[in-house]
Amino acid sequence: MDDLPLQKIQISGPTLASLLQRFSSSPGDVDGLLFGRVTHIATSTFSDDDPTTTAAASSSSFDSPTLIATITSFMGSTSTSTFYDSAGRLNLLSLRRLFSDNQTLSLLGWFSGRRKTPLRPSMRESAVTSSLSSKIQFAFQVENSPKSYTFSPCVFLLLTTPFHDQLIHTHEYRAYQFRLSTESFEPQTLDVINIGPAFRGHYGAFCPNSQFPLLPCQLRVSSSMAEDENCESESLKSMERVSEDQRVLDMCAEDFDVGRLNRLIGSDAANYAGELEDMYKKMLAKLEGLAKFVEKSSARVLEQENRNMKLRYRVAGLE
Amino acid sequence: MAIDTVPPLIAAQLNYLLSHSPLPIKVEQMWSGSKNHGLLDRFTLVIPFCLDYIRWDVIYNALYPLAAPDIIFGPEDESFRPYYAAGEEGDLKSPKNSMSDWNCKDPTRLLSLILELRELYMTYQRKRVGEVEDERLKFELSTIVSREGIEMYMSSGIEKTEEVKFALPLLGVDINKMVTGCPWRQKQKIFLQVIFPVGRKYMSTPSAPRLKLVASPELKALFSIEDFRLPSWLDGMCMAEYLPILEGLLQSQIVDAVSSIDVRRKFIVALAPLFGRPVEADPVFCRKAAFLTSSGVFTFLVHFSLPLQFPKQQPGLMLQSSQHFNPSGAPVKSPVITEFPWSPRWESSEMAERFFDYLVEECLNFKKYCNESLLQQR
Repeated sequence: MDDLPLQKIQISGPTLASLLQRFSSSPGDVDGLLFGRVTHIATSTFSDDDPTTTAAASSSSFDSPTLIATITSFMGSTSTSTFYDSAGRLNLLSLRRLFSDNQTLSLLGWFSGRRKTPLRPSMRESAVTSSLSSKIQFAFQVENSPKSYTFSPCVFLLLTTPFHDQLIHTHEYRAYQFRLSTESFEPQTLDVINIGPAFRGHYGAFCPNSQFPLLPCQLRVSSSMAEDENCESESLKSMERVSEDQRVLDMCAEDFDVGRLNRLIGSDAANYAGELEDMYKKMLAKLEGLAKFVEKSSARVLEQENRNMKLRYRVAGLE
Repeated sequence: MAIDTVPPLIAAQLNYLLSHSPLPIKVEQMWSGSKNHGLLDRFTLVIPFCLDYIRWDVIYNALYPLAAPDIIFGPEDESFRPYYAAGEEGDLKSPKNSMSDWNCKDPTRLLSLILELRELYMTYQRKRVGEVEDERLKFELSTIVSREGIEMYMSSGIEKTEEVKFALPLLGVDINKMVTGCPWRQKQKIFLQVIFPVGRKYMSTPSAPRLKLVASPELKALFSIEDFRLPSWLDGMCMAEYLPILEGLLQSQIVDAVSSIDVRRKFIVALAPLFGRPVEADPVFCRKAAFLTSSGVFTFLVHFSLPLQFPKQQPGLMLQSSQHFNPSGAPVKSPVITEFPWSPRWESSEMAERFFDYLVEECLNFKKYCNESLLQQR
C-alpha cells in the first residue's frame, strides 16, 4: 500500500446533508462507513520562469501525485461501535457485511458523530482508524492515474456539536487523512460539491450509483404464430429474454413496456422526445413508490428501535 | 425523563473513582451527550500529573450502557496512542487491557482504566522528553533517571516555547512518622519542580532552570514551603549536584520544625496553671489554644495562635466575650492584639506570667469595648 498524501477531500452536498441529518436526528452517537473514490488529478505547471529553477519546484509533483478523495455515499447506523469493539479492534465479519452491498465503490474510510465533545479524534477513534488503514484487504486502486497506486481507507470524518447550545452554529465537522507513515491525523479541507453552474467542472469524479441497465432496443417480439415446431423453442427463449428484460426495466421505471424502447432510436424514433418524457415520468413514479415503501419500513424500524431503547434503559437501571 | 440525573452504572463507577483514587482526581464538569438533555453521561476528569493537571474527557453513552467509555485526551497529546490495536477482535496475540473485556456492572473499572492510562501517559511523556535534541537535557535526564517516582512532561505548543518539566520527589524520609500523634491520612510529600527550556542551539553558559517547591497541602500545619528559601543554582550546575544540597537543607529545617512543636507545647502547658486547663488546644502541632477566664462577673475566652516561627515571632492574641453578642448573634470579639510585652528570650513560665498580668489590665478595656458595641446596636 502506498502512503500518499491527499490534496483535498470532496463530498457531494446531498451526502454531507444526509450525514448531518443522520447525526442530528439520532438520539445518541453515530458512526458508519464512507464510500467513494480517489482520483488522480494531472497538475499543469504553467510558468514563465527559467526551467532550471522550476525543475526543483515541480520535482515534488512528480514524486507524489495529486490525489483527491471524493465521498459519494455512506452507510451509517444509529448506534456506535458497529464494526469495532471497545478496544478499537475491527470486527471484520460485520465490516464485510456492511461493505458487500457496495461493490462499485471503494471503502474510503469512516465517520463518527458525537455530541458536545471536542473536535479531535478520541482514543478509540484513533485505534480504529489506524487499524482500518493498515488492512491490506480494503486497499483499492487510484483512478485516472498514469502509474498504479493503491490507497487504503484512511479518511476519517468527525462530526460534533458545540458545547453550549447555539441557535445558529449547530454542527462542526472536520475531515482527516490518517497517514500510516507518521501515524498522525492530518486535517484536510473538505470541499462541498453542489449542483449548479459553478460546480460543473467538479462533477468529473462523480458517476451514478444506480445506472440505467443495458437493454437491447431492437426486439423481435414475434407476435405472429410460428407454425414450425423448431421455431417454438426459439420463440420461447426470446420470450424468456423479453420478460427478463422487462423485469430489469421494472426496477427503474413503473409500467413501461420494454417494447417501447425501440421507439427511442432508429427509424421509429420520430416522437422520441415524447417517449423519453414518458419514460422519465414512469421512472419518477417508481422512485415515489420506493420512497413510500422506505417510509413504511422506516416507521417499523423506529418502533423496534424504541423497544430496544426501553430494554437498554432497563439494563442500565434507568427505569 | 428525569432532569439531569447520572445513569446509575456510570454514577457507581465515577463515585468509586472519586472515593478510592490514590491521587486527588476531580470532576470538572458533567454534561449530557444525548439529544434530550436529561442524562449526564460525559464528564471531564482533572488528573494531577507532574505537579500540574491534565484534563481528559470521558465519554460514555447513556443509551448504550453496556458499552465501554471512550476518552478524549488533551489537544497537545494527539500522538498519544495507549492501545495500539494492531490486532483484530478475537485475536489472541493482542495484549489484554482494561478496555478489551469491559464489565459495565463493575464499579472499579473506571478507576483502573484511568490509572492504567495515566501510567501509559507517563511512559509516553518520558519517551517524548528522551527524544528532545538538547545535549544538556539529555545529560540531566541520564543523571536522574535512576530516581523513583519522577514524572516528566514536555510542553510544546504554537505560542508556547518548548519546555521540559520535571517533578522530583524529595526526602525519602517519612515525615508522618516524625510527628507524634500525626493525624494525616496520606503521606506528606515534597516535590521539586524543575522547568528547563529546550534550547536547540549550543549555549556556552546554559541558563538556570525555573525551580519551585511544591508540597502536599496539609504540611503547612508543620512547615511552610513558601518561607523556605531555595539554594541558588550556580552556573554550570546540574540537578545531580543541586538535589543533595537542597535535600540537606530541607531535612534540617524539617527537623527544626518538628522540634519547635515541643517549644509551643511547653508554652501552652505553662499557661495552664494561670488560666486553667485550655478549653480547646491543638495537641499535635500546638498551633492554637483557647482558655475560658473571668474578671469579676465578666467571663471571656482568650485565644492564642502560635505561628510556626514561635518564639522568634510573637503569638497572636484575641479576646472573645461570652456575654456580649452582635446583631447577627455571634459573640463580640476583639481585634487581634499585637501590642503586648513580649520577648522571645523569656522562659515559657515567665511568658505566661507576663500575659496574665497584661490581660488583667486589658480585659477591662475589652469589657468597655463590648459594652460600647452593645450601645451602638440599640
